[in-house]
Amino acid sequence: MCGTDDGAADDGGRGRGRDHGRGRDHGRGRSEDHQENQEARFSELLEDSAEDLYEHAPCGYLSTLLDGRIAKINTTLLDWLGYERDALVGRKRFSDLLTVGGRLYHETHFAPLLRMQGEINGIALELKTADGTRLPVMVTSTVKTGGDGQALLIRTTIFDARDRRAYENELLRARQEADRERDRLKVLNTTLQKTLLPPTLANVPGLDVAAHYHIASADEVGGDFYDLFPLAAGTWGMFLGDVCGKGAAAAAVTSLARYTLRAAAVYSPAPDAVLANLNTVLNHEYNGTDPRFCTVIFGLLTPDPDQGGFHITLASGGHPPAMVMRHDGTADSLPTPGGQLIGILPNANIATTTVHLAPGDTLLLHTDGLTEAHTAAGPDGRYSDEALLDLGRALAPTTATDAITAIRDLLDTLGNGVDDDTAVLAVHVPRTTSEEQQ
Amino acid sequence: MSRHLTLLTRTTTAGAVIELAGDLDHHTAPEVRDALPGITLAAGQQLTIDLGGLTFCDSSGITMLIAARNHALAAGATIALAAVPERVSRIFRIVGLEQVFPTHPSTQAAEDSWHPTTG
Amino acid sequence: MDVRSRNHVTVTGRTGAPAVMLAHGFGCDQNMWRLVVPELERDFTVVLFDHVGAGNSELTAWSRDRYASLDGYVDDVLELCRELDLGPITFVGHSVSAMMGVLAAARRPEAFAGLVLLAPSPCFVDDPATGYRGGFSAEDIDELLESLDANYLGWSGAMAPVIMGNPDRPELGEELTNSFCRTDPEIARVFARVTFLSDNRADLAAVTVPTLVAQCSHDAIAPPEVGAFVHAQIPGSRLVTLNATGHCPQLAAPEETAAAIAAFAGASG
Repeated sequence: MCGTDDGAADDGGRGRGRDHGRGRDHGRGRSEDHQENQEARFSELLEDSAEDLYEHAPCGYLSTLLDGRIAKINTTLLDWLGYERDALVGRKRFSDLLTVGGRLYHETHFAPLLRMQGEINGIALELKTADGTRLPVMVTSTVKTGGDGQALLIRTTIFDARDRRAYENELLRARQEADRERDRLKVLNTTLQKTLLPPTLANVPGLDVAAHYHIASADEVGGDFYDLFPLAAGTWGMFLGDVCGKGAAAAAVTSLARYTLRAAAVYSPAPDAVLANLNTVLNHEYNGTDPRFCTVIFGLLTPDPDQGGFHITLASGGHPPAMVMRHDGTADSLPTPGGQLIGILPNANIATTTVHLAPGDTLLLHTDGLTEAHTAAGPDGRYSDEALLDLGRALAPTTATDAITAIRDLLDTLGNGVDDDTAVLAVHVPRTTSEEQQ
Repeated sequence: MSRHLTLLTRTTTAGAVIELAGDLDHHTAPEVRDALPGITLAAGQQLTIDLGGLTFCDSSGITMLIAARNHALAAGATIALAAVPERVSRIFRIVGLEQVFPTHPSTQAAEDSWHPTTG
Repeated sequence: MDVRSRNHVTVTGRTGAPAVMLAHGFGCDQNMWRLVVPELERDFTVVLFDHVGAGNSELTAWSRDRYASLDGYVDDVLELCRELDLGPITFVGHSVSAMMGVLAAARRPEAFAGLVLLAPSPCFVDDPATGYRGGFSAEDIDELLESLDANYLGWSGAMAPVIMGNPDRPELGEELTNSFCRTDPEIARVFARVTFLSDNRADLAAVTVPTLVAQCSHDAIAPPEVGAFVHAQIPGSRLVTLNATGHCPQLAAPEETAAAIAAFAGASG
């Protein structure tokens, strides 16, 4: 549409008198008559005097003294406000036209910034009209200075922002709503997470137990889980695992895994049989294009009446090895090579190992959120299994509570580097008083 | 935090080859999974995944490799991994998948090892 | 924590001379003082700082708990006095910072040679029970919070918020590095509440150090009655009414403001 007569008339209609000279460019290549005709029309429009333009411009104009007193105001703004000129000029200050809240904002933000910068642009304020209604506006002010650089007065333009403010309020409301929803989601996730963990661990006579679950992000439910619970007379089951993935789908697998493990252990407590059952269940349930699996370590704890302490059989389905920290100050990982992750293959291989937990020994199970945490100090920028084993060596001999406390401190130190959930479970056989005295 | 993964696919006589470079994790694995349906395999072919440029692989990455294996098996094809970084091999050993995925030192070696089983 | 960088402390002026600490109020930062500093630094050691959450202070040091009342700010002022170790100082507090000075001087009078309370108000909200007129109602303060929200949507370059804790979008913070009086919307809201909803009328009588109450002749925020109230409550205080209009005499009439501070600090420091 640019270059047509309509377009030129549009330009003139906006009162942009200083663009007059450009009219020649629009008319280039056209007849002289046409050009003269057009210039005549522009001249006519220019009768729109500067004074008239000031008074009836499509925005409010206001000139104030440095102390805010109104020196000059245009008709447009007077009409918006519903005041007579005499009621304002020399009598009121700009801040008198504002709502009380707006006045506070003006005095604490607007006026100081205007003084310091000589101008301030696009500030949202509300004017109070003569009949008490509020007019949302956008305000821009500049300080006019004299030849010596002294500030003389403040020029202000005011634009009606009713529609815009309504839209902004809607944006603001939507943002607050989104913030509330996100908070709600976090609460929901945290609650869901808690339902996936045992409220308390079983109290096992002769065993000191501690656990910790570190939530990497409250935005999503993680998939780590653990439990410790009684089985047939005198034996105990424990497990710790990690479902791949996050969110509601992973939480469903976690829930299924937890209940399957507990039920399977009652049915047949041999750790490799428990994991084989879990594998069958998951493999049947999630056999599609979106594979779901977990790595898990399951332990059967039996008190050892001959040597004291506990005899533990561990079965692992692709899970990072457990670590034992001994009473003599040594520490070792307990590898279970060949164990395959659970849920993928119809006949996953389950590897087992056994360990005797003597008085003073502590067994630690963990998920890889810890060993895969980002840290500048580790190999490949990750914390690593080696670093964890070094920590175990430094801790040994230790107790379940002390070991978990040390891991919590470590997680704090790693901070944002821990980008996956981490679960840790420790069991410890306390030394009796007589053993300590030896 | 910006994580990057680049994914290139090409075709050899043995079948499709996917080359992955960068971090294969929670954030990037879905990219690969989304690309899988577009990779056509004939029965008896071999899907080769070249991991030579991989700098990180977590359990989400493992899930993706399993999905790729399922994709290949569903087509009557097989899967092979090439140039598996030591760190990834280590994860494979931990989760017991080293026997599930045949591995080769390079894509070329994977192609050379392939023999048509049908047709 | 290094309190100097926490509060972005600037020390200028004459080394060894009596020290004047200038504390900005709600809405801006130490830039508020830039017109009076040249007048003061000939004769004084001048200490400028940003309250935590304002200007170039360390935003990570801000917490809702610590700064939910004036006490957190008072702790900061006392920590600064201890760290800078300039002897008893003249504390110049503008607006809400005047009450920080009152509370700090009541807690550790030995740290202060004197207080200058510039455009002070011990309580902005009217109290019909005692007939006290602060000038505002609780609803007015809510309206201010709305104004803050309306201007933090990001339309205005001058008022645009510092985007805190959003490392994914560093460009948002960067483009604002040149603007004065930056602040985070959340922090501004909490500070606005502390500023306009605190009632420190009862604390005024505890001031024992020499005090100058300097009020402006037309201040929409702290009217003359409020200045007179502060003067009447602080034993032995002096009251001056500046010719300056508005709430920020240090910008509107820097020479007059600096002269009043210098005369007082020169005599008491």
